[in-house]
Amino acid sequence: MMITLGSRERFNSATYDQGLVWVTLILLGIGLVMVYSASIALAEADKATGHQSTYFLIRQAIFIVISLGAGLMAFQVPTAMWQKMAPYLFLTGIALLVLVLIPGVGRNVNGSQRWLSLFIINLQPSEFMKLFAAIYVADYTIRKSAVMDSFTKGFLPMVFVMLLVGWLLLREPDFGAFAVIAAISISILWLGGINGRIFAGLLTLLPIAIVGLIWSSPYRLQRVIGFMDPWADPFGKGYQLSHALIAFGRGEWFGVGLGASVEKLLYLPEAHTDFLLAVIAEELGFVGVMVVIALFAWLILRAFGIAKEAIGNERYFSALLAQGIGVWIGVQGIINMGVNMGLLPTKGLTLPLLSFGGSGILANCIALAVLLRIDWENRRLQKGLPA
Amino acid sequence: MRSRVIQPAVIKLPAWRRRVLLIVVMAGFAALLGRSIYLQSMHKGFLQKEGDARYSRSMKLPAHRGMITDRFGEPLAISTPVESIWASPPDVQATPRQISKIATLLKMKPAELNKKLANNTREFVYIKRRIPPELAKQVMQVGVPGVFMQREYRRYYPAGEVMAHLVGFTGIDENGQEGFELRYQDWLSGKSGSRRVIKDRQGHIVEDLEAVKVPQDGHDLVLSIDRKIQYLAYRELAKAVDQFKAKAGAAIVLDARTGEVLAMANLPTYNPNNPVNMAGRSRNRAIVDTFEPGSTLKPFTAAAALESGHFTPDTHIQTAPGILRIGPATIHDAHPQGMLTVAQVIQKSSNVGSAKMALTLEPQYLWGIYNHMGFGTPTHIGFPGEASGRLRNYKGWRPIEQATMSFGHGISLTLLQLARAYTVFANDGELKPVSLLKLKETPVGQQVFSAKTALAVRDMLELVVQPGGTAPRAQISGYRVAGKTGTAHKLGPGGYLADKYVSSFVGLAPASNPRLIIAVMVDEPSSGQYYGGTVAAPVFSAIMAGALRMLAVPQDAPNDNIVIPPEDAPEIKEVV
Repeated sequence: MMITLGSRERFNSATYDQGLVWVTLILLGIGLVMVYSASIALAEADKATGHQSTYFLIRQAIFIVISLGAGLMAFQVPTAMWQKMAPYLFLTGIALLVLVLIPGVGRNVNGSQRWLSLFIINLQPSEFMKLFAAIYVADYTIRKSAVMDSFTKGFLPMVFVMLLVGWLLLREPDFGAFAVIAAISISILWLGGINGRIFAGLLTLLPIAIVGLIWSSPYRLQRVIGFMDPWADPFGKGYQLSHALIAFGRGEWFGVGLGASVEKLLYLPEAHTDFLLAVIAEELGFVGVMVVIALFAWLILRAFGIAKEAIGNERYFSALLAQGIGVWIGVQGIINMGVNMGLLPTKGLTLPLLSFGGSGILANCIALAVLLRIDWENRRLQKGLPA
Repeated sequence: MRSRVIQPAVIKLPAWRRRVLLIVVMAGFAALLGRSIYLQSMHKGFLQKEGDARYSRSMKLPAHRGMITDRFGEPLAISTPVESIWASPPDVQATPRQISKIATLLKMKPAELNKKLANNTREFVYIKRRIPPELAKQVMQVGVPGVFMQREYRRYYPAGEVMAHLVGFTGIDENGQEGFELRYQDWLSGKSGSRRVIKDRQGHIVEDLEAVKVPQDGHDLVLSIDRKIQYLAYRELAKAVDQFKAKAGAAIVLDARTGEVLAMANLPTYNPNNPVNMAGRSRNRAIVDTFEPGSTLKPFTAAAALESGHFTPDTHIQTAPGILRIGPATIHDAHPQGMLTVAQVIQKSSNVGSAKMALTLEPQYLWGIYNHMGFGTPTHIGFPGEASGRLRNYKGWRPIEQATMSFGHGISLTLLQLARAYTVFANDGELKPVSLLKLKETPVGQQVFSAKTALAVRDMLELVVQPGGTAPRAQISGYRVAGKTGTAHKLGPGGYLADKYVSSFVGLAPASNPRLIIAVMVDEPSSGQYYGGTVAAPVFSAIMAGALRMLAVPQDAPNDNIVIPPEDAPEIKEVV
């Protein structure tokens, strides 16, 4: 009877994770509303947007539609295909990171060379590099699982690859993306059974490397100083953070009401991108912040749950990739929110699925589609169907 | 789909490592939740205060300052709207062309403007205050973000220097600095309202934080002054000060029945619309400065003598040989006379006669009369800085002092006190309070002399302006005039100054039914003439003649009543 089923029935016979889809759509929806709210004043004041209040709303809506379409396509791709393509995707990612550094090809905004101009849209290669890195490191770990204990054979090659990626990203500079990619890689290595002593050494050396990186660049140092005490120089180094914190303080438990933020009225820079959470905190209060955190936490828990099921099905690449995607969304969310609340120095990382930005939303949606695919394949295997 | 992916033989994915990682990530979310609670509940007070400091602004809603008008409502001080241009330097984005355009409009140097806009630590800097609204509009049309205009009011004084001393002026923030602007600051200013608002970064008001406090406009202040009489008094006084090369002068016109001040002129003066170089020019001498009045005080000595019952207007007093010795001191008459009646003592202004009358009276009695006249106590007219003058206590009087005081030496008064004292002769012995504000009804005064005494002295004062008196130049065509001259040496650090005089004249008209009292004082005339009858009396007659006509006061004498004597006999005071 199963053999006679049409492709349509076959698809339906293994249900997809509706909760994951809904949480994603809810986060995208909150993001769309809040991006609009946070960007009205900015859009109206800016000549570059033609003083249209809906400038960012329209673009974000288009990004979401494109991203959902791309996600639907990515869902069709079997996990095995991603694994097979892993090295090529990673090389493509590296090529794009090189391309973006070439003057005239990469576009420089506010001193950061992060964007590739493709006709009407600007592509941010580092966003896709996060996905490619997750796929690549997951595949690497599986391939090298036999030598994962070895420092020279298991660990060192990955260190070289990461140093290359890191060097390219810091040339832009995009420290935030490197931090996320490093977190994804280290997490997957950890899950894949890296030698405990190597890992301990890595955890010791990493902070030293980070401090060294900070000291080596006046621009990063300035951000860190502003983060340590934003009230020491609230009109200079601490300007952005002090305004973000004020937004939290004004929001109290239930917020000043949707649309009523004052900080977004050109006081808080990047209100619709990196500091969107501050506007959420001001307009929707602690309740709004709590809902966002809960949705992200649910997303991560789900990703790890899917990974656990994949292990049960002996699909180790899928398991590592699912967790890599979970770590990506989780770590980037935590860093962005931590920056908004003054727990971490300013990074230039967006809030996944919520902040304004085409490349970020597109990469996030593709990643979640891959996660959905892994779950879908799990369900099929549990029903005895082929993946 | 079926392409075979290498699955290595040994795969280690320890479950505990997954749990550890999950716990780390969840701990991150938990930390965020905790931090959010801290910021949004415990720390919110500080954060909201910081926020308010950045974008909530308390705006002053200026109240319209009341007008000061004369008794007929003619404006003497009015507020006209002007604009002030200010900037928030951190928000200013201007091209050099815009800067130079604004600088040209405001007649500033571009460097000066740039310097003001470079002050990035402040969020409020005045660029130019109080410019015409039209000009401010042009500046705003340049369209530089961060540059704003603010409505303010500028005080304008239509009567300018003519009324400067009385009206005073306001400072840049419309706070009274002098005169009535100072004295009635609260009444005129009203209460400015306020509005606490949140502003966006470009300065637009986003919302009100609390209920708007509506400004309460100030009240108008109606002075007792008659603008036309004021102009007349000022013009005539200025003419005399100029003609006799005097240092200063003052003139007061009183409504004889109500005590209202219809005019009060002072010289030197200043322009209250542009109060600069004020040194010595801003004193309202008629109220804040005292002087020794000299013979203008004699009528009160005569009135005291009549009131005592020991004298009648016809009582004879021997003034020959024009010298009276009291102890080591000597009192002189300018022109030695013989036997004089009390009336003649006033007419001829005999010091000896006045002293002899005074010495027959008890010091306490004479002091009581002077005290009732208001000498030595302020008039409480409500003008800032009013002087009280000096009347020494009778207990310390020596005979020579009592004698000289009777003709106005050793006693000091303001011109206003002197003018007020003359109301007793216009109101049958009743001393009227004086007022610089328009009164609704005639105030009740204080009876100092009997009506009989008051009328008797008024008759004597009429003799002063007739041939044989000291001030024939005080006469007015068509009206009977009563008055008294005064010429006194000025007091210097070491005593009386031989060549410095204060010339004065106080008079009332029409003598049959007095309507106006005018007191004129000319300080240090230096052209050679210094007698009150020569210097001050003509000012009196010019002001009085004009004012009576303006008020359409019925004549009480034919038009050809003026009798100029072939040779006048002006009075003089000598050093005691």
